[in-house]
Amino acid sequence: MVGIVIVSHSEQIAEGIKTLAGQMAGANQKIIAAGGMTDGSIGTDAIRISEAVAAADSGDGVLVLVDLGSAIISTETAFELIEPEVAARVVIADAPIVEGAISAAVQASIGATLAEVKAAAEMAKAMQKL
Amino acid sequence: MSKTLFGMIQALQETISSQEAFLTELDGAIGDADHGINMNRGFEAVITKFTEEDTDIGASLKKLGMTLLSTVGGASGPLYGTAFMRAGAEAQGKETLTLEEAEVMLAAAIKGIQDRGKAVKGEKTMLDAMMPAQDALKQAVAEGLSVVEGLEKACAAANEGIEFTKTIRATKGRASYLGDRSIGHQDPGATSFTLMLETATKYLKA
Amino acid sequence: MIQKSYTLGNKLGIHARPAAELVKLAGAYESKVTIVAGEKRADAKSLLMVMSLGAKMGQTIELTIDGPDEADAMQAFDTLIGNNFNEA
Repeated sequence: MVGIVIVSHSEQIAEGIKTLAGQMAGANQKIIAAGGMTDGSIGTDAIRISEAVAAADSGDGVLVLVDLGSAIISTETAFELIEPEVAARVVIADAPIVEGAISAAVQASIGATLAEVKAAAEMAKAMQKL
Repeated sequence: MSKTLFGMIQALQETISSQEAFLTELDGAIGDADHGINMNRGFEAVITKFTEEDTDIGASLKKLGMTLLSTVGGASGPLYGTAFMRAGAEAQGKETLTLEEAEVMLAAAIKGIQDRGKAVKGEKTMLDAMMPAQDALKQAVAEGLSVVEGLEKACAAANEGIEFTKTIRATKGRASYLGDRSIGHQDPGATSFTLMLETATKYLKA
Repeated sequence: MIQKSYTLGNKLGIHARPAAELVKLAGAYESKVTIVAGEKRADAKSLLMVMSLGAKMGQTIELTIDGPDEADAMQAFDTLIGNNFNEA
């Protein structure tokens, strides 16, 4: 099953999205939050992200949802810190973090491939709310 | 006074700490006013992880880079973190460096930042100080200059690089949102790099 | 291929949570499952497509299931939709 990692500058945002997406996708779906810094401040931590990716991977790949700015660059740095074999099956979704995470988590929970899960997350870009 | 790697890292930390407000002010003009704060938080964490026992330059720069990755918080964390780690990879097991080796390390650091930030020269980033500094080091190696002489040339080139960043528009990072309004301001990343290079040079010269 | 229509009985229609239930159920079967609500059509294995149907209480949706396990799938959907997605 494809794992999901949530990268936000805020620990609470990442945890909140994890809870929300987890409720929709069910308890079996792996969703790992990697928000904020270890000292509790706002920011992104490549090492925390690399550990989250390793924890989310069960062999079928990992989709990473990111918020803004350094979240992307820290995530790309994290890919350099993990086993190349795992790094080869990890991708960042170009998607809004909340809607993308929910869509991706539900898609992953029904056994979709990494490409399908990424596409599900990225569909959220075009979703009209009103 | 004997020169040690720990002594140099302490000097870097002191510089970042004393220039925190200045770097943050520069970033306030064109970015999100956190460069000094972030770098200072990173180096405060770095200094707690080193002692005089740390003499392997490669292993130490890797540790320094990893610490910045997890403590800086903003984009300068992964950028400088990658830069120090890539530089360290070129100095594994070394306790001293030649000017030529320093040039190879700076080239690796630049490559790391380019891999991360997908930036090129002339986009008002730290590369605008780093790349001229590397060119100056390369020339100094060719001319057979000493380590300190070579580093002084690199500092001069990096400072010219900072001046150059005042004349151009930012096209990378948050400063790019300002477009032409970013002209006239020097780049905070180019400045922090130059401050660190000057600190290292002064430390070796003292 | 089997088709069946349902009138939605749950108060909020196919909002996020029922949509996720539909998608998870559809994902458990090999058959292709399509939902039509008014002018809109959705692949039932895509959460955002199902959500964007915007199907409300009282609205009729039409389910089309096509594939080797279509009969079993239809029975499972019958139960889920019949129970108002297990909500009020």
